[in-house]
Amino acid sequence: MELASVVQIWLAALFTIWIYSIAFRDNPFFKFAEHTFVGAAAGHSLVYGVDNIVRYGWAPLTAGNILYSIVFILGIIMYMRYHKTYFWVSRVPMALIVGIGIGLTLRSTVTSEFIAQIISTASMKVLGLDAWAAFSNLIFIIITLATVYFFIFTFPKAQGGRLSLISTIARYGMMAAFGYSFANTVLSRFNMIFGRIDFLMNTWLVLPYAMLALPVVLILVIYAMIPAEKRPWPKTKK
Amino acid sequence: MTAKPKTIWDKLEDIPREILYGLLLVCIIVPMLFPIGFPVPISAEVKRWYDTIEALPAGSVVMVDFGYSGGGEPELAPFAVATYAQLFRKADIKVVTMSTASEGPLLWEKAMTELNIARFGKEYGKDYIHIGYIAGTETAMAAVGKSISATTTTDYKGTPLSKYSIMQGVDSAEDFALLIEYTTGGDQSEGWVRQWYTSYKTPYLCCVLAMMVPTMLPYQKAGQIVSVVSGAQAGQIEILVKAPGRGVKSADVITVTHLLCIALVVVGNIAYFGKKFSGGKS
Repeated sequence: MELASVVQIWLAALFTIWIYSIAFRDNPFFKFAEHTFVGAAAGHSLVYGVDNIVRYGWAPLTAGNILYSIVFILGIIMYMRYHKTYFWVSRVPMALIVGIGIGLTLRSTVTSEFIAQIISTASMKVLGLDAWAAFSNLIFIIITLATVYFFIFTFPKAQGGRLSLISTIARYGMMAAFGYSFANTVLSRFNMIFGRIDFLMNTWLVLPYAMLALPVVLILVIYAMIPAEKRPWPKTKK
Repeated sequence: MTAKPKTIWDKLEDIPREILYGLLLVCIIVPMLFPIGFPVPISAEVKRWYDTIEALPAGSVVMVDFGYSGGGEPELAPFAVATYAQLFRKADIKVVTMSTASEGPLLWEKAMTELNIARFGKEYGKDYIHIGYIAGTETAMAAVGKSISATTTTDYKGTPLSKYSIMQGVDSAEDFALLIEYTTGGDQSEGWVRQWYTSYKTPYLCCVLAMMVPTMLPYQKAGQIVSVVSGAQAGQIEILVKAPGRGVKSADVITVTHLLCIALVVVGNIAYFGKKFSGGKS
């Protein structure tokens, strides 16, 4: 294995242990890993930002596509927000970005997120299906209607008395949906932990000296979890 | 004033997080050291995902968006690797990959190393390519759908696309038979519906984090996405593709950790009701 890969694996392993140590207690190793991660992520984004300017702006401009100069001018105008008098000029490129974004999204939002969803729900069948599918569809329709009612008819008379039953159904429906989402979130998190521990066990620990390093790393992390004033060494100044 | 001694119910309700995370760690490591071999049933969604790729005719071009960040790698990469294996086993299928996340190209390289692409005899630039990270998320999707050559002129390494034979005759969304998405972001997974399915009717397979599945299911129900799966289902596709990897290995761990979760929910409820019925505040 190349030296660069070995160094990469060792660093990844150490940072994994340091980051996950926060699950047990805050410590300087976690802080160091956290700050390094934030710095590295910012650096990575900056490099990609510059790369994007070169790739999508500078390269076509230098290739003779003069229209790209407008993009550069708009980009520079963005920095006018730091000018005390002419800060308002920066709103022009910002308005263009927002306008393009909204225009692109809206051209298909109505079709994909309203019409298609309404057709899908309205065309659900309850009759002529097996019992389980019919029951499932019926629950779906009831909860959809109740939830729509809950959010549209918000005035007190529409939520009180016998009509409160609709709100109750809507609340239970939403709680079930949030519960399902939460359970899936837990599943995602477990998968992430598994991925990192799998990396530690099958990629890092198989390297020479990693097995020897593991207890040392763990002891140091545990020692760092002891509050500074209770540590026998180094002594903190009062 | 002396504090009231803690009852057993109080202690059960307030288990230190060190113990909880310690138990979780044990539940992860033990099944990894001593695999139990829990069955991995194939869900309808994963079967549909597999069948959609199997049904691709020879000569098809597939667009893949490697749109996940580093945090989602442990969950999404095994599914992506297994799907690439299925695509590369099929004869005469071309795979064009792009990334709507800046970390995508790096993670794609990692996935290709894990896949050991040499065993499929596929050639970069002829059978597959990565056209790089394209910034802008939804504007990137719209731009690539309209014209790849107008959006980017190089691949992720900076080599001109015109040098690669795979890009001949491939330029817009209409040239693709299938769109596959791996993402950790809702903007990406929903954006492809708006920019590709709605505009070009490109069949769309979507692999997201498990926590995003509930949000994406309505699109599947409406027929806008052929199949929505979570990366946690990687074991299933690995079995179908006959390439067991990280996904199958994770099945035991996921099952045991979820059993721990259920046990802790039961303990929490026992503490809650125990406290309530013994006269304490719930």
